[in-house]
Amino acid sequence: MTDTTATEPTGGQTRDLSGARDMIVCEDVSKWYGDFQALDKVSATIKEQEVVVVLGPSGSGKSTWIRCINRLEIHQEGRIVVDDVELTNDLRNIEKVRSEVGMVFQQFNLFPHLTILDNVTLAPIWVRKKPRAEAESQAMSLLERVGIPEQAHKYPGQLSGGQQQRVAIARALAMEPRIMLFDEPTSALDPEMIKEVLDVMKSLALSGMTMMVVTHEMGFAKEVADRLFFMEGGQIVEQNTTDLFFSNPKEDRTKLFLSQIL
Amino acid sequence: MSEISSDVSMANMPVAAPPEISKLSPREWMKENLFSSPFNSLLTVFTTLFLLVVFRGLLSFIFNPIRQWNSTATNLQLFMTRAYPDEQYIRIWFCVAVILILTGVSMAVWQAGSTMPIATLGHKLLGTGALLALLALLAPFSTSATIQWLAGALAVAAVGEAVRRYAGRGRNGRTVSTLTVLVVVLAGLVTSLWVVPYGHHSYIAKRVPRVLAEPGTVALTTKLPWTIMLIVAVAAYLAGGLIRDRLPTNPTRAALLALWLLAPFFLVYLVLRDPDFDMGHVFSTDLPIFLAYAIGGASLLSWLTRPSTGETGRIVAVVVLVVGFCTFLTPMRQVVRLDMLLLAVFALAAPTFAGGPRARRRYIFGWLGILGVMSWLITAINTPSTVTVPGGFFIGGFSITVFVAVLALVISFPLGIALALARTSSMPIFRQLATGFIEVVRGVPLITVLIFFSIMVPLFLPRGMHLGEVAAVVIGYVLFSSAYLAENVRGGLQSVTRGQHEAAEAVGMTTAQKTVFIVLPQALRVSIPPLVGHCIGVFKETSLLAIIGVFDLLYIGRIVIPGQTEFMGSTRENLFFVSVIYWIFAYQMSKASQRLERRTGLGER
Repeated sequence: MTDTTATEPTGGQTRDLSGARDMIVCEDVSKWYGDFQALDKVSATIKEQEVVVVLGPSGSGKSTWIRCINRLEIHQEGRIVVDDVELTNDLRNIEKVRSEVGMVFQQFNLFPHLTILDNVTLAPIWVRKKPRAEAESQAMSLLERVGIPEQAHKYPGQLSGGQQQRVAIARALAMEPRIMLFDEPTSALDPEMIKEVLDVMKSLALSGMTMMVVTHEMGFAKEVADRLFFMEGGQIVEQNTTDLFFSNPKEDRTKLFLSQIL
Repeated sequence: MSEISSDVSMANMPVAAPPEISKLSPREWMKENLFSSPFNSLLTVFTTLFLLVVFRGLLSFIFNPIRQWNSTATNLQLFMTRAYPDEQYIRIWFCVAVILILTGVSMAVWQAGSTMPIATLGHKLLGTGALLALLALLAPFSTSATIQWLAGALAVAAVGEAVRRYAGRGRNGRTVSTLTVLVVVLAGLVTSLWVVPYGHHSYIAKRVPRVLAEPGTVALTTKLPWTIMLIVAVAAYLAGGLIRDRLPTNPTRAALLALWLLAPFFLVYLVLRDPDFDMGHVFSTDLPIFLAYAIGGASLLSWLTRPSTGETGRIVAVVVLVVGFCTFLTPMRQVVRLDMLLLAVFALAAPTFAGGPRARRRYIFGWLGILGVMSWLITAINTPSTVTVPGGFFIGGFSITVFVAVLALVISFPLGIALALARTSSMPIFRQLATGFIEVVRGVPLITVLIFFSIMVPLFLPRGMHLGEVAAVVIGYVLFSSAYLAENVRGGLQSVTRGQHEAAEAVGMTTAQKTVFIVLPQALRVSIPPLVGHCIGVFKETSLLAIIGVFDLLYIGRIVIPGQTEFMGSTRENLFFVSVIYWIFAYQMSKASQRLERRTGLGER
């Protein structure tokens, strides 16, 4: 990683981001699946370069929330503003936001019919309209950054889960996003492969990327996150800076969750 | 980032050799697979007896002395092309040569064929010899014929055994390319035309007696062209090898695919017409129309592909499409309408496929190229034909079977994919139109569609517009085939997971880009087996042409040849021959599909 000097290592220490721009603003975001309310008036503001981790039991709405932010799910009430662009039904806004926001999925979702290199270069070439040669050299440097340049000409099916997830991160980075969303990136991985993905994510956080991570990896949360959100039943039950969240949880529900998971 | 990722490498792990699978002796194999229990033994015996009876029945049908096989041999030309004039026959051979050249080059470029151990080849020859021997014993031959056939079988088996010995037992070192085997077999067949006295058969309508059957080898007009064809095919394969080594892979393949797509249209006009390209007409009408579209279209596309154009561009593209449809409401030259529709397609696709200055230039050159080819084809087709065929109906027989099948498939493929996409789209108008069309067409027997198009539609057409019989039939097949294709493709579309859609959307692709780059490639690959099944189906269903009176392969075998005074009542022989032809081609398609599946599935998932 070339630009680690840009910011101090976060390491769970509270960084002063009060002067930074608002990258993601959610105001009273609500969403229903039929009668079931998946999100209940979720409000939060995420600053530039901030790394937030969203915790919560399954079914608490974490994934729904993060997927609303690049409109893979459509919120029904409230406002979501990403990098000063409000998400509405306007297709141009959606395309703009999506090309600014990178997303990494639990199931990797690499394109199985394309080589690793094509997976990474496809969007830069056709969405960003980059010349192929430039896109390829950028893709190779990204693959080097995630540690698998030698796999460039293989197909996703020939890679291990951890390698696939790292390719997925490279694919998202190739669009040069300003925000990265991670939807349980390590949940589908074997234990021994989790570390290699988390390492990539840590170095990404160190480089100053704005990141929103849904995960169950407490070690990662403690080490990297600036702020933690705890969700339950579609609501944000508690949010706090990392050390306060772990050392001094206020809500009983949070205490119970932490006692079970730690 | 060097600290990241201890790569999980599986290459260095010690690998235990798999246990050697001991080969069973024939006796053990039979015991294990055929006679493992009393019930299985009973089944084996009964099935064998049943097969022998069926085989014997088939052989006594084929080799019965009352069979008039010379009706088939004499009418081979009729079967293939019907009454295509002899003096123009070079056109047919030219078409065959073009197809063979394309096939040869494509086989080399795509590296078709595999290798097989020579021992396997020997085994196969041995098996063939055994089969021939069985045939000789079962068939109702005279003693001398039986002995001859047995001798032949023995010779084949002996060659097989020799090959097997040469390859060496148990070693699987020596291999041979399947293509080499193919070429050797074909060369043997072609050589046999020059050597073996198959007899010189033909049916000459203008002569009495009309049947010519002389001893000796086949006519020079048969063996010479086939020899040339074989040489052309082999030469094309070798040239393809050079092309593969010298030129970049992807552009070559794209060019070849484009040639394959163009070939049917080019060949049709080559067979049917001898365009004299009336230059006065070309300069006064065709060229100005082409230039107007070339310049106007290029400047429109150059504006549309500019990144700054945005939403207005899409509206303009839709306007072009509407204008394209409106041209059909007022009388004007067909070429103007078709060019307009082509321009509309290019305009609609412009935002998806054009970006940087190089991509823009390539897109505009693509428009000019396709427009040029289309204008040339239309000009060629519009000039009067100098090929006149007796009966007023151009070719027939196997040619028209292939012609209708290929044209129907080539046109219905994009249509079927479009229908499938429309049916799964989120826009209600498209969805319901597509669903309605598919359900209507699928609920109607194909033969009624064909009769409708060949008899009824000409009645409804405005005055001055006429539809050739074959064109009408092809339209019927296209509609029918596209409805079924759409359902096959839809199955593939549904197999593409939600995650793939989301991943494509998350990197900011538009719906069109997502469909073209992510969804369709995966969907079509999954649909290969049903799609090939569909191709085989369309190929065989062309036999329905016989019912509406088009002289296709089946009609000639069932009605025309048995109607010749010399060959009264030879229906059964010719139907047998026709079904063998259908089977050979359908089987080859099926084999090709299996190879395609193996290739596309290799190492990718």
